[in-house]
Amino acid sequence: MLLRASSQSEGRSVALESVTTDAVDPGIEHGRWLRDLTEAAIRADWTHLAQLRTQAAAVMGEQQVVDALTVAAAFNGITRVADATGVPLDPYTAATTADLRRSTGIERFAYGEKSARYD
Amino acid sequence: MYAGQPCVRDNLRGAHTATWRSIAAGGECFDGAARVEMVRVARAALSCALCAARRSALSPNNVDGQHDSDSFLDPAVVDVIHRLRTDPGRLTRRWFDAVMDGGVSPQAYVEIVAVVTSSVIVDTLHRSLGLALPDLPEPRAGAPRGEHNRDAVDGGAWLPILDAPPATADAGPPQVWNITRALGLVPSALALFFGTFRPHYALQNVPLAISQTQAEFVAARVSAINECFY
Repeated sequence: MLLRASSQSEGRSVALESVTTDAVDPGIEHGRWLRDLTEAAIRADWTHLAQLRTQAAAVMGEQQVVDALTVAAAFNGITRVADATGVPLDPYTAATTADLRRSTGIERFAYGEKSARYD
Repeated sequence: MYAGQPCVRDNLRGAHTATWRSIAAGGECFDGAARVEMVRVARAALSCALCAARRSALSPNNVDGQHDSDSFLDPAVVDVIHRLRTDPGRLTRRWFDAVMDGGVSPQAYVEIVAVVTSSVIVDTLHRSLGLALPDLPEPRAGAPRGEHNRDAVDGGAWLPILDAPPATADAGPPQVWNITRALGLVPSALALFFGTFRPHYALQNVPLAISQTQAEFVAARVSAINECFY
């Protein structure tokens, strides 16, 4: 949800649908590399990720590749904290991102939606 | 940790080394041996046949069975670890209530979540950089301390969370985000997790070679893959 705010503060226009839709170009520097690296890391596709690291480093530089994977690793942990505790969205986030959550499909990950689907 | 990887920053190396030390030192409901065992069980969960079958099912609740486990931990604890490691996006309130009914206390649950999620961060970064997983730390002797935050409050989560000033939608971003309150029932668990997490990311002026927008994009993508609403 912070993606929109940070892109606005940096004067960029990010295609928010790219978060959940592969066909959409994120519209940020090295966006496709960031997406592919993240995808391989979180889905544990280590062989593919090894290739991607080399290719991406030639374009972005090794430090940026490592830092992107550093963020991905962190969120692989913190998303589990949220999912395991049912912690609600902050009121500010809930109020300012309703349209975004609907347009990107993130709404389907809401706790109530999951209960209806899986229980 | 991260030997031969010069692009991993020193503060992150130090934080992850401290994470391993903290896990081994024991906590509030579990001793060091049990906490180190949680990390081992979390790693083993990735090759568990029951977890694989559940992942393939429309609902994890459609598949019964026993986890592949030779652990000395209570089976209820093993189940929490396996679910948290392999299928976190499909945890529900009903599942959580069943865990509580099965005898896992809220304090123990928070401690399990902190240990496992911290190890997920450490392990994910190692594997992502093509490095071998770090050896498990050697447990240190000592009984669980049994401390928890008696001032934790009902903040709308499944269990009591850290108290914080009330937040409203029209007041702007909160002083304390709910995610940073989620493990507040057990302060040492909260400290363990955020001690691990903090060098990786910041809400503003992220101290990395990628921009804040790039970092947020990666974060949002992980949330989508893991089916995380928050």
